[in-house]
Amino acid sequence: MKYAYLILAVVGLVLSGCGGGTAEEDTMALDEGAASVDENNKTLTIALGTDIVTFDIHDHNNTSTEAVHDNMFNYLFKRDENNVIQPELVDTFTQIDDVTVEMTLKEGVTFHNGDTLTAEDVKFTLERVATDETLQEYPNYRQIKEVDTIDERTFQIITHEPEPSLLHRLSRLGSGILPKRYIEEEGWDHFLAHPIGTGPYEFKEWVRDSRIVLTPYDDYFEGPVEEWDEVVFRIIPENSTRVSELLTGGVDIAVNIPPADWDRVNGNAGTAMKSETSNRTMMLILRATDGYPTADVRVRKALNLAIDNGAITDSALRGAGTPTKTRVAPGNFGAEESLYDTYDYDPEEAKRLLEEAGYGDGFEMTLHSPRGRYLQDAEIAELIGGMLQAINVSVNVELMEWSNFVEMRQAGANKDAYLIGLGNSMFDGAYSVDWYRSDRFVGQTDYKNKEIDALLEASAVNMDQTERAEQLKEIQRIADEELPHIMLHQETVNYGVNDRIDFVPKMDEMIYAPEIKRK
Amino acid sequence: MGPFLLKRLAQIIPVLFIISFVIFALVYIAGNPVALMLPDDASQEEIDQLTASLGLDRPFIVQYGNYLLHLMQGDFGDSFRYNTSALPLVLERLPATLELAVAALTLAVCIAIPLGIWSATKQNSPLDLIAAGGAVLGKAMPNFWLGIMLILLFSVTLGWLPVSGRGTFAHLLLPAITLATGIAAEMTRLLRSNMIEILSQDYIRTARSKGIRETLVVYKHALRNSLIPLVTITALQTSTVVGGTLITETVFSWPGIGQLLIQAVNTRDMAIVQACVFVIAFLVIAMNLLADVLYRFLDPRIKYD
Repeated sequence: MKYAYLILAVVGLVLSGCGGGTAEEDTMALDEGAASVDENNKTLTIALGTDIVTFDIHDHNNTSTEAVHDNMFNYLFKRDENNVIQPELVDTFTQIDDVTVEMTLKEGVTFHNGDTLTAEDVKFTLERVATDETLQEYPNYRQIKEVDTIDERTFQIITHEPEPSLLHRLSRLGSGILPKRYIEEEGWDHFLAHPIGTGPYEFKEWVRDSRIVLTPYDDYFEGPVEEWDEVVFRIIPENSTRVSELLTGGVDIAVNIPPADWDRVNGNAGTAMKSETSNRTMMLILRATDGYPTADVRVRKALNLAIDNGAITDSALRGAGTPTKTRVAPGNFGAEESLYDTYDYDPEEAKRLLEEAGYGDGFEMTLHSPRGRYLQDAEIAELIGGMLQAINVSVNVELMEWSNFVEMRQAGANKDAYLIGLGNSMFDGAYSVDWYRSDRFVGQTDYKNKEIDALLEASAVNMDQTERAEQLKEIQRIADEELPHIMLHQETVNYGVNDRIDFVPKMDEMIYAPEIKRK
Repeated sequence: MGPFLLKRLAQIIPVLFIISFVIFALVYIAGNPVALMLPDDASQEEIDQLTASLGLDRPFIVQYGNYLLHLMQGDFGDSFRYNTSALPLVLERLPATLELAVAALTLAVCIAIPLGIWSATKQNSPLDLIAAGGAVLGKAMPNFWLGIMLILLFSVTLGWLPVSGRGTFAHLLLPAITLATGIAAEMTRLLRSNMIEILSQDYIRTARSKGIRETLVVYKHALRNSLIPLVTITALQTSTVVGGTLITETVFSWPGIGQLLIQAVNTRDMAIVQACVFVIAFLVIAMNLLADVLYRFLDPRIKYD
């Protein structure tokens, strides 16, 4: 009898082990579609660093989430490979007056449940995001006053004021068209668990922080995608694990490969690095508040001249970056291209300007930088610290964890300068140059320029696109003289890719499966 | 036994209460998640609106009271990131974590028991020294590093096992080994020293002098008494296991509570953080209770008053 307890204890332990075994068997069936190294494998597997946020296309502000949604939903318009906006769901459209555009939908577009796309769906979608203040994308669509349906396929979008960026808004994150009838009948919770769109792929499953699986939609209006039987997005947050999955053929594409691993990916048989310029610019935001040395334009110019942008892209980024003097890169509306792929570097002139501004003996400043948020962010901040030391400016580099960094900015606790990378999902320069608007960052940067303010106000409602582009370019030229922000470089997005597929990375960081082919 | 169990169960309530307070206070101190939830260009108006709608503008005591009230109904609040109730999200992940933890503990026990006995009975032999050295090494290796090294060796170089993910037995192997190594090392050392001590005691000498076979002495008389501390250590190791799963799950993209918790901390998804920590704390408490009960089975002399 005494041994019975001992046996019980041991059996208990062993049984608990068996319990683990059955759990494995339960889930085995789930994973049968996982990628293998098989050449004829028609499963496309993509490793993401973070999970998607939601299937509520209006309630997130996250590019990598959009990269998945892009395969399931269609926009009214879409940027082509040259970043020119083309109709996608829309067949024809005409501008009726400054605040009204009339559009007709393409024929034969259906949602994944078989329902035909109608003007009512467009009205439902756009009016939701334009009126519900709790949605994250509300600020980008509140310009829309209403959508009037004319017939089954024809509708008018009416804006509160003239809205020159309307098509930019309709071709990006937050403007995928939702199925009105399905959502009204089944409810939002059901939609979020079983989302449907009009896109080339339909939803199969989402296991949070593990994977999202999509399958081709047979009745896609442009014809079904036959290249892939299944598209699997796997969530692998740890960089080294993501790289290892790529090296072993576990995934076909791995996003955000850190520079330290580029040689490994290129040196490995069957994989290679692919990079593309992103729409994200790295920059230093300076304080123009009275009392800060950076309030003096000569000091700002001196700092800019002391920073060797080319050295940063060459050493910290190993060539994967383009120096720039504007954050409106080519591909965006209103880009001043003469300011792109160039930089000013002249430490002697910088010293002279400091002398002139009364800082001949230099001064001390603080540079805040996030660590681990952008490609090599901490290294870049340290490099800049070293470069400024050469003109006697001694820099306290404060490296911060991202959430603390965000809080610091929001509280207006930023000092002389902070390092940040900013993108532009609109691909419209207006949203980038708006950062120079004087009433926007009171208490944060305190930069003021009447000329820029006037140009911003005029361009915001200017329906003459040629003239508007010129206004945006003028703002960039003034900013390059005034330097409220010091531009550094345009980042690249870096993917590790299996040689069995043809994948061309895109500037907007979308991973659009129909364009990815087997070799 | 009955009153003892009741008493222990009753003790859990104040403990959970204290835990709820500590978790809430820490999250409160950690700061406002609103900044992270809004886009870069959010206006002050938008910030205030969201802060108010989340109830974050109210005094600490009111917020905590509210939290506690909901907690008693099993409601940990909504995840900011996923916009759904937090507890189901955490419980959904529990099987994956338990699978990994149980596999690791089983593996650790399977390694530690034979190795510990062997080390103790062949004390100071070269084999004992190797085992003891191995145990120190196993204890010293950080999970994170070990996991990456195992991936490099078994997945990248040899191509035998999958790198990450969950599904087949092959997927389980590397994370379980990663997690088991440190625990097995700890258990081996403990079992060895206990066994050595017990083997030198009078009743063992008596048994030997009666001419009982050595294997019987070791397995019948000594092992049983050496196992009692092993039960304690197994229970205590639960917290180590759970801590280890945080790291191991991240390295191997294992979709369990650990990975959920790390992602939630990164995005300041506080409802999830709170629910995760609470569930983990509950697991540790439950394991300790189980250990106490198991003691009683192993050694009826232990009294609970």
